[in-house]
Amino acid sequence: MGLSRRINSFFDDRFDTETARRFIDKQAHKRLPPHISWFHVFGSLALLLFVSQTITGILLLIYYRPTPEAAYSSIQYITTEVHFGWLYRQIHAWGATLMILVVVLHMVRTYFSGAYKKPRELTWVTGVLIFILTIIFGFTGYLLPWNQIAFWATTIGTESAGKVPFIGEWLLYFLRGGEVVTGETLSRFFVVHVIILPWILTGLIAVHLVLMRLSNLATLEPVGEEKPIPPGHGIPFFPVHVAKEAVVAILLLAGLVTLSILSPWEIGEPANPLVTPAHIKPEWYFLPSYQLLKYFEGPYGAVVGIVACSLPFGLLLFWPFLDRGKERHPRKRPWAVGIGLFGLMAALFLGILGHFSGTDVTLLGRRYHIDLLGRPERLMDEPTSHNPVEH
Amino acid sequence: MKPQVDGFDKVGSARPTRRGFLDWLISLCSLLAGLAMTIPGLMYLWPAARGGGSDNMEVEGADRMAPGQSRMVQVGGKAVIVIRDRKGFRAYSAICTHLGCLVTWEQAKEQFFCPCHAAVFDAQGRVVSGPAPAPLPAYKIKEVGGRIYVSPA
Ligand code: HEM
Ligand code: FES
Repeated sequence: MGLSRRINSFFDDRFDTETARRFIDKQAHKRLPPHISWFHVFGSLALLLFVSQTITGILLLIYYRPTPEAAYSSIQYITTEVHFGWLYRQIHAWGATLMILVVVLHMVRTYFSGAYKKPRELTWVTGVLIFILTIIFGFTGYLLPWNQIAFWATTIGTESAGKVPFIGEWLLYFLRGGEVVTGETLSRFFVVHVIILPWILTGLIAVHLVLMRLSNLATLEPVGEEKPIPPGHGIPFFPVHVAKEAVVAILLLAGLVTLSILSPWEIGEPANPLVTPAHIKPEWYFLPSYQLLKYFEGPYGAVVGIVACSLPFGLLLFWPFLDRGKERHPRKRPWAVGIGLFGLMAALFLGILGHFSGTDVTLLGRRYHIDLLGRPERLMDEPTSHNPVEH
Repeated sequence: MKPQVDGFDKVGSARPTRRGFLDWLISLCSLLAGLAMTIPGLMYLWPAARGGGSDNMEVEGADRMAPGQSRMVQVGGKAVIVIRDRKGFRAYSAICTHLGCLVTWEQAKEQFFCPCHAAVFDAQGRVVSGPAPAPLPAYKIKEVGGRIYVSPA
């Protein structure tokens, strides 16, 4: 009792604590629009996952060694020897996947509720940048264990970057730190993953949150007709919305630990630059681009493919300046909603094709071989099929 | 005092003032100092060493290879596939020209196959089917005193 009062008065005597206290109070009890729902928790979940990635990432860094000779065995050491090392590695790996999922869900919510419209265009733009950086986070982190799948996924991924028009070759050489993936690549990816991206993302998230607070959360009223929330109305951020967030946050953490235990990420074989394993596939969030790239053949195929894969990101980035309609309610924006649904379905469809391509599946008791372009082919019931991909 | 706009006084418009000139000089110097610090930084990021490893590699155990067999070697850090046929040795870059996976030699079909997106190249490295945009580049083979060496063509 006496102690906390003494600490408080120590600060009161030296600083203008009243202003700070008022600011924090105002932010904590800020009134949110009345229609705030469970769909409005994804943003804070993404933040929670970023914090979790940062903490588990720093823990991994204590034992991880970023060289081709030591990386793989240092991960093995973390998972087998270090106390709870397996848990932190799993939470970091699963956290990465969930973070991308949560960021996507957050974007879907803001897209369909028209929240990106004036005056919140820049909030949306910083959000898309955060999304792109999160994907790069996943890509650079994936290489760090220096296992076969990571080595070859990185080879293919950087090679695709090499097909970017005009600057491709330059970019490829720069990303890999040489002509092929080597320890130079590992060093570069490591620095980007643990130093550069965390700080850029921290800055972007800060800007995103400040912008979000400055223009409050959007209602469903058209642009220019949003009415200020009358005093005493709306939903207090603390405690009402925070309680909702806490519920979902606990479910998320429980899910993370459950996934880590029931479905751990395997390390697989160590990287071998002289053998490409059969059927390597990227992480699920790259599957749509992975599949789309396959449909572009011929001398300029890869170039056209890479442009086709980047176009959706460009569209997303500038979307608030392309869709200038004033309506926010999804029912009054048939075009925007249609385009959004089409994009989601296309990504989902390509992702599913990518996932099953080059494998055999059983559907309703019949066996099919799905070829690399995703076309099913009925397999006869002979024990050894003339499977065109098994060479 | 005369009102000033951009370091020029309004009345005798083209006459620079001392203050305007100094402002301009300081901006120029800051810009130059900035560039002087950025350019070495950017150059630092550019990869210094090429590939790694020797540009002229011996094919270990080439004498033990039977006709039709293949072997992977690294030349200048890049994977190269060496084939022995009845006439002698040939070598091609093993890096698929599509997206960089390594091709394998299929002895029975006498063709190269890429496991990633199923590109097929014939025994001379030419594209047969699949998404590869260009043939596999050939490498030079040299025979010195019964030893086989591979180097970039
Ligand atoms: C912010 C600070 C972060 C630090 C310091 C950090 C650090 C690390 C380290 C040291 C590793 C190697 C250990 C391992 O592979 O298990 C790693 C792996 C990885 N990281 Fe991060 N990370 C951070 C954030 C993120 C974020 C935000 C994502 C994704 C959205 C991410 C995705 C990954 C992935 C996919 C792996 C490979 C996991 C595996 O296969 O085990 N990281 N990270
Ligand atoms: S990398 Fe060889 S076919 Fe795509």
